[in-house]
Amino acid sequence: MDIDVKNLHPLEVKVLRQVTRDDEITPEGMIESLGLKIGQCNQAFSWLEGKGCIIEDARHTKVCYELTELGRAFAERGLPSERMYLLVREMTERGGYLTLPDVAEALGLENRDVGSAFGMLSKQGVLSMDADKRIKIAQEKLPEEILTAKELLLQGLQGVIWEDQLSDPQKQVMRSHSKKRGASGVPFKMVEREEVSYRLTEVGERYRERLLEGGITGEEFGELTQEMLLRGSWKQGTFRPYQVSSPPNRVLLGRRNPYNAYLTWVKDKLTSLGFEEFDGPLVETEFWNGDALFMPQFHSARDIHDVYYLKNPSHAREIEQPYLDQVASAHENGWNTGSRGWGYSFDRNFTRRQILRSQGTVMSAKTLPRAHVPGRYFGILRCFRYDQVDATHGADFYQTEGIVLGNEVNLRTLLGLLKMFAEEVAGAEEVRYVPGYFPFTEPSIEVHIKHPKLGWFELGGSGIFRPEVSKALGVDVPVLAWGLGVDRMALMHLGLNDLRELFTPDIERVRLRRGR
Amino acid sequence: MPKIEVQAQEFFSRMGRNYSDEQLEELLVAAKAELDGKDEDEGIIKIELNDTNRPDLWSTSGLARQLRSYEGVQPALYDFFSNETETFETDNREVHVDPRLKDIRPYVVAFCVSGKKVDESTLLDLIQTQEKLCWNYGRKRSAIAMGVYRSDLITFPVQYKAADPDKVSFIPLQDDRKLSLRDILKKTPKGMEFGHIIADFDLFPFLTDSSDKVLSLPPVINSNEIGAVQIGDEHLFIELTGTELHALIHTASIVACDLADEGFTIEPVKICYPYDTEFGRELVVPYYFQEPVGVELSYASRMLGVHLHADEALASLKRMGVFAVHDDGMIYVTVPEYRNDFLHPVDIIEDIMIGRGMGTFSPIMPNTFTPGRLTVEEEFTRKAKDLMIGLGYQEMMYNYLGSARDYIEKMNLTHEGFIQIANPMSENYEYVRASIAPALLQSEAVSSNAVYPHRIFEIGKVAFLDEQTNSGTATRNFLGFLFADSHAGFNQLNSHVSSLMYYLDRDYRLEEQKDPRFIEGRCASIWVKDVMVGVFGEVNPQVLDNWGIQMPSGMGEIDLDLLLHGRRL
Repeated sequence: MDIDVKNLHPLEVKVLRQVTRDDEITPEGMIESLGLKIGQCNQAFSWLEGKGCIIEDARHTKVCYELTELGRAFAERGLPSERMYLLVREMTERGGYLTLPDVAEALGLENRDVGSAFGMLSKQGVLSMDADKRIKIAQEKLPEEILTAKELLLQGLQGVIWEDQLSDPQKQVMRSHSKKRGASGVPFKMVEREEVSYRLTEVGERYRERLLEGGITGEEFGELTQEMLLRGSWKQGTFRPYQVSSPPNRVLLGRRNPYNAYLTWVKDKLTSLGFEEFDGPLVETEFWNGDALFMPQFHSARDIHDVYYLKNPSHAREIEQPYLDQVASAHENGWNTGSRGWGYSFDRNFTRRQILRSQGTVMSAKTLPRAHVPGRYFGILRCFRYDQVDATHGADFYQTEGIVLGNEVNLRTLLGLLKMFAEEVAGAEEVRYVPGYFPFTEPSIEVHIKHPKLGWFELGGSGIFRPEVSKALGVDVPVLAWGLGVDRMALMHLGLNDLRELFTPDIERVRLRRGR
Repeated sequence: MPKIEVQAQEFFSRMGRNYSDEQLEELLVAAKAELDGKDEDEGIIKIELNDTNRPDLWSTSGLARQLRSYEGVQPALYDFFSNETETFETDNREVHVDPRLKDIRPYVVAFCVSGKKVDESTLLDLIQTQEKLCWNYGRKRSAIAMGVYRSDLITFPVQYKAADPDKVSFIPLQDDRKLSLRDILKKTPKGMEFGHIIADFDLFPFLTDSSDKVLSLPPVINSNEIGAVQIGDEHLFIELTGTELHALIHTASIVACDLADEGFTIEPVKICYPYDTEFGRELVVPYYFQEPVGVELSYASRMLGVHLHADEALASLKRMGVFAVHDDGMIYVTVPEYRNDFLHPVDIIEDIMIGRGMGTFSPIMPNTFTPGRLTVEEEFTRKAKDLMIGLGYQEMMYNYLGSARDYIEKMNLTHEGFIQIANPMSENYEYVRASIAPALLQSEAVSSNAVYPHRIFEIGKVAFLDEQTNSGTATRNFLGFLFADSHAGFNQLNSHVSSLMYYLDRDYRLEEQKDPRFIEGRCASIWVKDVMVGVFGEVNPQVLDNWGIQMPSGMGEIDLDLLLHGRRL
């Protein structure tokens, strides 16, 4: 067994140093020899027993006496019989006399108490009473019993009185002045205490030897205090070594939410790849959410994005021109985009209808009119979907979307961009491209990646904006549009498998969560 | 996105060989489709189709047609289409349209098939095609509804009428009650599902034959008599009604091509309209209405990032089942009868891309320089987050939708200023949050077991009504923070706000604020110049009680956009 004396508290050190294999180890002994308090003894014994240094040897019941409230008052002011005797004697010496009621009034005592004190004193022949009920001194000395009681009271002020330390006469007096229960009318309460005594074990012996060898006394410095530094007293001793491997206390620290920290990392990654961030309102119009993306107003493609409508205001006041006219024409007949359009009559009232943004591509479209060429833009945007909330669907969630504008934009630069995302953002080992479908891009490409932990999965979708989208919003160069499924990677990063966990209100869960 | 079930045996026999799952997955890429599962016992392959503009792929025949062509099999020719210049004879197969339908459900198209007995595979596929086309492409039957009948029981011409819903009655399919048209809407499952499409009209669309035998109540249900097609039937009449003639003709073409692929003979039907349509008053269906479309070869090369030869482009398109010719730098495409998705030259380019194969395009890294940049709001937000963390706060993230109970009632507030959703999924997600405070209190309410003190914050968006904007709403970046502890109170929050404002470099002053969410006299508004940017204070015990919180809490909220810009943007 490992003996590490750093585990020992200074109290334990002191006790161990004090005892040998032959000793009966008791609190009394330690109180006497080390000047410990009873509480300290009990602590030290329980720790040492836990370490196997000492072992229980015997239990005895011991009787002791404690002062009651009344006893404390007697000890400070004297016993009623003593006070009565002294008062009567003083009055007699001055040639006067007192009756029992006089005594009661002078000492502030109850008549009944004065009566019983007189009874006791007269029985012992110390006082007597004449025919006129005057109290007389019959004996010049206080009885032994009262003197003994007085001694015991004074001793009681210092602490408990153990019965086995009393002489026989003292015991007799103590018994007549104490009670086990209902002791409020007497000066002492009798208490029975179970006391355990211990013996040093072999392990304890080895600890003890180690302490003696190392010269460890238990008087080593604990904390280095400011005062020790001021006085220089730290030079006068050594420091107790700590058990450095003992478990620490918990600290409640201020901290980023790990999901948000991950999104921040993605933002930083994208800015490092030359992308400028965009952001926008939660409330959008059908115009930007669908129409500007060339999704026909009454086509089933619109069902893909079932949306939340605003109750009030249900419609925006107006849609920015010339984009409204251009988008409307693109839908109706293709405008000048080279398209034949959808061939229906564009509804200019429907297009103002307000919804909660359902896809991040909205902001890609909205960015086009003010975008630079060449330009790269991105946003991580909260979106809302009309879905039952479960482990894989949230009522609101983040989408990571963006665009690249430039004359050199084509299918192969699109693949290059996706490869860059796959490697830089997702740490992909392999990349595969498959044709996809989005209402607003043509051609459309899905990128699948082989992730070191997740295996193959769809990282995102992308494509080149249809000219019906980009031209109608004032851009003549090709525009790559892309979106990345960041949540999937975030869940993996956080070791979660339920989307709802990302927005948990539970403080403890968030405190304990950390990124991989 | 539609999912279909194809019968493996029929499908592979159409393909001319069997495919392993892996081979199939690879091949399905050419149809933007994915293997969604298999039912070995039933011999069924489940496939998900991603392109909502290619309804021709939503059937065993259509999918096989596309993939077969991709594998190099010569596509079939469909010689039963009439067009602007050429019209097939229809004998007496005609549908006559009632003029009163013009504003109800104006269009009908139809054709007949014969020459082969309907087997189980055909029937299942026909039912599935009908469902998928009418549900996804036909917007749940409102734009397109389709009916199939035994044509040998029909006396032509068929009458497409407007009927009085209370005076006309028949026995609907799979029923034994003779019900009025109006009762069919109320008393049959299909009537309850689709009746709303016509319920508001005075007259209902109604199909009968010349001897007044009932075909159906479109778009709701067929009659039980001739509207029940079974295995072994040899002569079918197929009609589609709806509101968009192009979509109807296109859908009819898809179904006709599918049945032709299965070996049926297609027999055209003439539709006689009493009013003008884009294709005149007489229309023989199946009808081909597509114009040729073209793309400049140089444009295709530029978009694909490769130098594309004309022959290569033509071969790629052929592999997609698309016939094209090259003339003077232009590729001209004859749009297949079953397709209607060539809106722009880019649509041809995508077909060239898929036909050529994704593997033939190598990625190029972008080589232009653009400066990366965060929004100023994001940068400011990050400063604020750093400070809150320094003050010992844990960052939280919350949902943006909630209930009136949480956002309004428990907060001692009124509905004023809140954005309400008109079509909430449930009352739990009926409002957009106008404040972060309810989420913070919800956190506190569910976290009484977490070691105290609790210091939490979120920086996120809120939205509320704002008459001065075009949308009548405003979205803002807000900081919300909460401090819950047995001794939490105004003074600590005051210190935190003071530190925050000092390091964000904003001079501010506090004023006593009346706010029902806080204890009166222990709530302050934060002012920067003459703009109130935030509020904080000790949470009203009534509010704590509403949330079931038994710990004193202080809380605050700051509009970071106002704080950053000093004014509304």
